[in-house]
Amino acid sequence: MKHPITLNVNGTPYSVDVATAQSLLYAVRDQLGLTGSKEGCDDSECGACMMLVDGRPTNSCSYLAVQADGAEITTVEGLGEGDELSPLQQVFLEEGGVQCGFCTPGMLIAATALLQANPSPTAEEIRIGVSGNLCRCTGYDGIVRAVLRVSREGASV
Amino acid sequence: MTRLVKTVTEMEGRFEEKWVLVEDDGLVSWEAEAALRHVGHPTPRLTGPQRVSGAARYTVDVALPGMLHAAVLRSPVAHGRVTALQVAAAEAIAGVRAVLTPASELGFQQRSGPLHDEPLYAGAPLAVVAADTLAAAREACRALAPSIEPLPFTVDIETAWQEQRFDGDLHEEARGDVEAALAAAAVRVELVVSTPGQLQTPIEPHAAVAWWKPDELVCFIATQGMFDARAELAKRFDLPPERVRVITEYVGGGFGGKQNAGFEALIAAELSRRTGRPVRLVLDRHGEQLDGGCRPATRQTVRLGATADGMLTAIDAEALVEFGMSGWRAVTTPALTLYRCADVRGIEANLRLELRRGNAFRAPAVMEGITALEQAIDELAIETGLDPLELRRRNFADRDQSADLPYTSNSLLWCYDRAAELAGWPDRDRWREPQADGLLRGMGCAAQIWWGGGGPPSHASCRLGGDGVAQVVVGVQDIGTGTLTAARMVAAEELGLPLDRVTVRGGDTAPAIYGPVAGGSQTTPSVMPAVRGAAAAVRRKLLALAGDVFEAEPDDLVVDDGRIRSRDGGLDEPYTAVTAKLGQASIDGSGNRGPNPDGYRANTFGCQIARVAVDPGTGSVRVEGIWAAHDIGRVINPLGASSQVEGGILQGMAYALSEQRVIDRTTGVPVNATMDDYKVPTMMDTPPIVVAFAPLPDTLLNTVGAKGLGEPPIIPTAAAIANAFRHATGRRAAALPLTRARVLEAIA
Ligand code: FES
Ligand code: FES
Repeated sequence: MKHPITLNVNGTPYSVDVATAQSLLYAVRDQLGLTGSKEGCDDSECGACMMLVDGRPTNSCSYLAVQADGAEITTVEGLGEGDELSPLQQVFLEEGGVQCGFCTPGMLIAATALLQANPSPTAEEIRIGVSGNLCRCTGYDGIVRAVLRVSREGASV
Repeated sequence: MTRLVKTVTEMEGRFEEKWVLVEDDGLVSWEAEAALRHVGHPTPRLTGPQRVSGAARYTVDVALPGMLHAAVLRSPVAHGRVTALQVAAAEAIAGVRAVLTPASELGFQQRSGPLHDEPLYAGAPLAVVAADTLAAAREACRALAPSIEPLPFTVDIETAWQEQRFDGDLHEEARGDVEAALAAAAVRVELVVSTPGQLQTPIEPHAAVAWWKPDELVCFIATQGMFDARAELAKRFDLPPERVRVITEYVGGGFGGKQNAGFEALIAAELSRRTGRPVRLVLDRHGEQLDGGCRPATRQTVRLGATADGMLTAIDAEALVEFGMSGWRAVTTPALTLYRCADVRGIEANLRLELRRGNAFRAPAVMEGITALEQAIDELAIETGLDPLELRRRNFADRDQSADLPYTSNSLLWCYDRAAELAGWPDRDRWREPQADGLLRGMGCAAQIWWGGGGPPSHASCRLGGDGVAQVVVGVQDIGTGTLTAARMVAAEELGLPLDRVTVRGGDTAPAIYGPVAGGSQTTPSVMPAVRGAAAAVRRKLLALAGDVFEAEPDDLVVDDGRIRSRDGGLDEPYTAVTAKLGQASIDGSGNRGPNPDGYRANTFGCQIARVAVDPGTGSVRVEGIWAAHDIGRVINPLGASSQVEGGILQGMAYALSEQRVIDRTTGVPVNATMDDYKVPTMMDTPPIVVAFAPLPDTLLNTVGAKGLGEPPIIPTAAAIANAFRHATGRRAAALPLTRARVLEAIA
């Protein structure tokens, strides 16, 4: 059975028909063609698919598209302004928080959510806050440094 | 001058003498003191903005018009015979376009498989379905409802050893008389160590999208070796290589497990050939953890003999390998090469089990070998009462002990000193004093050896256009290691251009500029000299043209910071003063990696020190710090290099503490083939890591002085942690990883 829903992704409303069991990740990646969010496990294990759903960090692989009807959704594509990277995206690069980049979209979303809830986290709070996101390439340190730096510089995320 | 020369090339310890085409570029390696503007300075990634904005297109993101989706049906048993598949039921599902089973006539040749009617491991592919949607393909896989007659299986190393189930011959390499030397030794130690099966677990699973067009097969593949992938597809489908194009723009991590075209690309291509539609095949996580590959488990016995003052007189290493790569024997290589010793023997048996065969995982085999050898060396230090680092220094080998050849460079002694200094090693015994928090602390070290010199063939091209922007093309893909960024830095250096006026393209076989597989730590030392050569060719041509334009002697001119200058300072013009006159023409150059120096071995070295805290109540082990010093020759990009070392260390730490493929012996099936149960470290587990690189470029090896970095950092970490555990508790666990149960048993 198909359900007509509206997804407001990065400020743009999209009308799509989704199957009952279909994930938000599938709708955004395969139906809307926004492939920035990744699928690493399809089971809430890795965080690569993380999006903000009404501001809450959510593993979109394990969230039904129908649940997101009418919600405000932010994906990695929505973090910058046009071609301008957000301060967080910029320091991720400068601090060496990115290697292959496959975990990065989810990491950025998790870090953005963390900084919105807690604008000046300690390193320990960052580690706890982003520990649901797996990275297999970096040692995570660059990611922690990046989040710390953004919070110190007080840039809005 | 273009020549064909015979040179020795090496890939993960396999040496081969071959003819390669080289064009002498007349370059000499940058000296250690050379003042370089880009090379050696931390530089963010070339493709960084794409990676952080979601614009980077990985294989899993490729969507083509009319594309079908494929799903794989896998064996639920370790060994069995498929007696029936409900093909008609699968084909009846709406949207199903093709069903492949072991009975299907395939358009390509493969010795065994790819689809099995007698699966030999749990997770072996039995059938594949292509359908309009992934959901339909998966539903059809379920509808295939295989009937399987179970057959006997062996999944443990002991039984396989007793049954002498060898895969290939026993491999033995020896020099001198190890038994006599052991018998005569003043001090002897013997250690039996088991190491776990470890899964690469890239966050991006194996994936391919294939499109069989009338005149060309185009495959997007998540692979570490796009040219190898092209060769494999061409050979198996019997196509001319130039009619196969492999595109690998971004890869979400490989760690050795993504080689060649692989099952995914072969099957996707076959499905596309049959259906006339593009086909995407992405492993789901369960499939990835079952069939993406692994580092095989081992059981090793190391016996050492030494004089009372710790000089090694005998090294005897035996390894049983749990179904490793066919023909790949290197578990005992460290025993044969890391220390100076005359009487040495290494013997390895690869055992055939009903398990997924091992494949390459970062420092394959050598890491397993170091994990055992370096724990034995630690025992010898305890036995002789010597400081473990001092013992290693005393037995330092300044030549390759197996080949009896000098090294192109070897800063291992520097690594010992630097790691010790960073870690505060001289005071390490204070960690063993009673601690306020009741934990047991200790420090341990381990050394590392790996190849990583690279070699030809590897090519690059460089084109300078009228706008004064240089475009470099290389034949490799960037699997996350920053290869393209390093290429940009090297080209900018040689051309005297700012970084933003050099672009680099890779990840596509269409330009037919060959590069090696990203494996064995050979990319940097193979590709960067080729890039430098191509850039130098362009620089020379540019200066010759500048000589014409400015009526100057080209030899008196230099390039720097986007400008052309005369050595006497009289001339200082922008690049574009010459290039603007090119119109639509361009200045082109090509470069290649020169031959390896005759009569040398090129290796990387390193030392890591770990500090651990053990909770004697719960058995938990926490790594509190890792100090790593590595000799990788010249470091092109310290930002990328440190990040890569940290990532390698984390994987090595997990090998010591948490990662392990767990097989249920009663069913033969892996029970933790998910990322929930297979414990990859999270951000909470990361220790502080301090990294240092030996400041000595390898000027003999190649024109940029770099060795490779991919494998070295993972190699010594687990042994250093195990040795720190020994220091902290006075006990050694017989097997890794150090799970709580093992720890409690060891310290009981
Ligand atoms: S893909 Fe959603 S958590 Fe891994
Ligand atoms: S950068 Fe590759 S998984 Fe994180």
